[in-house]
Amino acid sequence: MSIATYRAPRRDLALLWHQIRYEQLSFWRNPQSAFFTFVFPVVLIAVFGALFRGADGSSYFYGLTALQYYVPTIAALSVLGSCYSQLAIVLAMRRQNGILKRVRATPLPAWAYFLGLLAHCIMVSVVDVVLIAGIGAVFGVPLPTHWPAIAVTLVLGAASFCALGVAVASLIRNAEAAPAVVQLVLFPLVFISGTYMPIHSDVLNSIASALPVRPFNQALLGPFAQHTGFDWKALGVLAAWGAAGALIAIRRFRWNPRPQ
Amino acid sequence: MRTQLTGVPELAPDGAARAGSPAASAVAVAGLSKCYGTVQAVRGVSFTVGHGEIFALLGPNGAGKTTILEILEGFRTRDAGLVDVLGIDPGDRSQGRALRERIGLVLQDIAVEPYLTVHETIARNAGYYPAPRDVGDVIGLAGLVGQERRKVRNLSGGQKRRLDLALGLIGNPELLFLDEPTTGFDPNARRDAWDIVRGLQGSGTTILLTTHYMDEAQALADRVAVISGGQIVAEGTPSTIGGRDRARARISFALPGGYTTADLPLDAVPASTGPGDGLVAVETAEPTRTLHQLTGWALAHGTVLGQLTVVQPSLEDIYLRLTGHGGPGEPEPTIEGSTR
Repeated sequence: MSIATYRAPRRDLALLWHQIRYEQLSFWRNPQSAFFTFVFPVVLIAVFGALFRGADGSSYFYGLTALQYYVPTIAALSVLGSCYSQLAIVLAMRRQNGILKRVRATPLPAWAYFLGLLAHCIMVSVVDVVLIAGIGAVFGVPLPTHWPAIAVTLVLGAASFCALGVAVASLIRNAEAAPAVVQLVLFPLVFISGTYMPIHSDVLNSIASALPVRPFNQALLGPFAQHTGFDWKALGVLAAWGAAGALIAIRRFRWNPRPQ
Repeated sequence: MRTQLTGVPELAPDGAARAGSPAASAVAVAGLSKCYGTVQAVRGVSFTVGHGEIFALLGPNGAGKTTILEILEGFRTRDAGLVDVLGIDPGDRSQGRALRERIGLVLQDIAVEPYLTVHETIARNAGYYPAPRDVGDVIGLAGLVGQERRKVRNLSGGQKRRLDLALGLIGNPELLFLDEPTTGFDPNARRDAWDIVRGLQGSGTTILLTTHYMDEAQALADRVAVISGGQIVAEGTPSTIGGRDRARARISFALPGGYTTADLPLDAVPASTGPGDGLVAVETAEPTRTLHQLTGWALAHGTVLGQLTVVQPSLEDIYLRLTGHGGPGEPEPTIEGSTR
């Protein structure tokens, strides 16, 4: 290994890349994570595509076609899955199995471990979103033009939901409960945030706008389907949730398994 | 080899443990203490481990071995005392990475990512160290040749332990911590593991291990410290610890029919009938002489001493005596189970 001869910053970058590669390998090897996290949203948009292809725009979908609406919301859902849900469950499992403690026994710094996870989650999210946009295009949804806004929204959203995922993993007591807790939080949130159907209730919308999922949906809906750019207000709410998640994660994250 | 026969060590950090300066020893511990709530898990422990030495912390479950190891590894904070590991204070978080680049850890629990292969798992950890061993060499060293491409989840328990050992070695550590390295091994696997440990010592690695197996400490360690109730109750080489080299030999045999212990030709050596087996046991500082008297007496009376044996006290006897079993001693607080 010639790593030792690198200057320190280069060595740290090489270390980070090394870590991302092995996170990717662990992810794709695990049939559960590869299927439920990655394939599920792709299948969902394909089913929606078959159901709604050729439908005209309607006021129910804010003047958009059903598919124009669903491509960004399902894209957002895929990010929730690969960042929030997957990360919370995997970290809770790794902690319970003692794998996290084993990581602490190596010289790998904590920042490299978490940056590696973050970068891995963002990469999975980006691939998923590109696939979903591609399938949308196959069913006649025009490709978006505001790529910078989409890219920034994606990265910020992925990072925020990763932080929330780590926060939830820090609060969960045992790994068996992790999937249930994760879904219990996520399902109602996704539902009232208009992911599966547009919500036309001002009360619900104002509540959901203060929670993390609807702002993410809105911030993707604009550049994907409505030819608008950055939705700064929505991004601000997302970033605030991400910061709150990061704060809980930093204060409450544990490496060691809970005593039996 | 320096031999210490400490009774109850002083809490003050100026005892014999500080005799070696940090540079002279790989590990120096003085007056180390740790409480969990009201339970005093470690009470003023002091010891040093020289470079290239195999040092064993021997003690029953809950004696505080793992707590001491975890403090040395930087996993736990300490309440009091001085600790120096390869010139670094493991309590200093800013030095954590530098310390871990130079030590290897084999923990009690097996914990490995299930979906990677053996080779991938070792290669991943190799990337964490500035100057790792060759992955293929470590696979050979840990006895995992032929398993490289198998997924970790498909390995047997013993193979996972070997993988854990490989992960402890991959960074080419100067100092290796082994926490009960052979618990759950079959006899052959234990011999293999011992050979690996001796081989590592041969290549200059310092090894600090915990064990509750007396034979393991005897087979591997240059020096042993017996821990009981959070204190070192004895320290020395396996052959001299607890005055083992100076202890009396024990001769035991079945008393021939028709005789009592009063008939035996023993000058001032008390004989006792052991419980259970009904054998007569004689403890003597002069086994040659006593044995000659006994066998001479048997031949003269035309009888035999059945099941005749002569034994020096085993490390196990010393251990049981020191850790308060079969002798007076305070009950051991069990602390490890409640804190891990």
